[in-house]
Amino acid sequence: MNYIDVLRESEDMVTPGMSACQGCGGELVLRTVLKVAGKNSIIGIPPGCMAGAGVVGWNYSNGLHIPVHIPLLDNTASFLTGLSQMYQRKGRPDVNIIALAGDGATADCGFQSLSAAAERNEKMLYVCYDNEGYMNTGYQRSSTTTKGSRTSTTPIGSVINGKQQQQKYLPLIISMHSVEYCATASPSHMADFVAKIQKGLEASKKGFAYLHVFSPCPTGWAYAPEKAISIARRAVQSNLFPLWEMDNQGYHLNFENKTPISMEEFVKGIGKFKSLTEDDIASIQNVVDQRYRLIQRICD
Amino acid sequence: MAERLHITPIGDDGMYILDTASWRVFRPVMDKEKCIECGMCMAYCPVSAIKGTEDKKYYITYDFCKGCGICAAECPKKAINMVPEGGQE
Repeated sequence: MNYIDVLRESEDMVTPGMSACQGCGGELVLRTVLKVAGKNSIIGIPPGCMAGAGVVGWNYSNGLHIPVHIPLLDNTASFLTGLSQMYQRKGRPDVNIIALAGDGATADCGFQSLSAAAERNEKMLYVCYDNEGYMNTGYQRSSTTTKGSRTSTTPIGSVINGKQQQQKYLPLIISMHSVEYCATASPSHMADFVAKIQKGLEASKKGFAYLHVFSPCPTGWAYAPEKAISIARRAVQSNLFPLWEMDNQGYHLNFENKTPISMEEFVKGIGKFKSLTEDDIASIQNVVDQRYRLIQRICD
Repeated sequence: MAERLHITPIGDDGMYILDTASWRVFRPVMDKEKCIECGMCMAYCPVSAIKGTEDKKYYITYDFCKGCGICAAECPKKAINMVPEGGQE
């Protein structure tokens, strides 16, 4: 079935009006994941934009048509481990156990529980929407923030010029836990994204599946909301966010990038990068090129 | 709010629904003469405000559309225009 048909014919599991910003990448990721997963699912959403936007519900109300839990920022994977184990024991392995966490709850605070659950190969699908920072509380830096980004904890001024460190590349780290399935996806490449959700859900019945999704944030990154998809596309085209997947056959590159665009072109029009120096761009380009060469070599 | 039955919300009970249509400054308007019914706008809409019928036709619903303009920017045929809200019909 074509991905357009899948999205058109599946029911929306999310409340029609949630308080995510205009053009929010996270909202698109949430709705797409739950459209594909369907009604027979349970989701855990730790504190972050998607929890804050009313999806977990406030004042005894609910934001989803399926059961939703709000674990702590650092225990999403261990919380869902218990849930998953309970469903296996009750004889209902058909239920999709899903986590939808931001990069803060995945790469920083929640990393210990995530790493432990991945190593135990617990049966769940862990989706990380990576908007490169703690957007819900006003864009503090996280470990996946790109170097040179203007955030509220790494401002642009006379002492420092944005974030000083390079970003941590989490998906490769998780894939090294010998999980059942691990992939990166971008909302701009929707066919690939939908196929990866389906594969991830299938793999989550056998073991741990991890999906790292690029999620541009108009409010934090300071760009016009309608550019969200084109920025996600440029991130893939510039090799900042290469699309690959890992299953039990090995690593596969999903988007062979013959003519990558430069980092200079990627940062164009994104407000958080507006005072990057040429040295900063060169150092990001260097890391991006190295990473892409590494991924090319491990993919068959 | 009157009946506080659950501590953890479950299922379809008591949906939290915000009037996000009131945020809209520009409304997307589809030009059906240019539209080729590819469904890209439906796939990219973060709010799921663009729906498809059974015979693969697409239309915009304005009940919750936030007016972000992603559909207009991503339409391969440029068949969606952003029109100022409250102006001329």
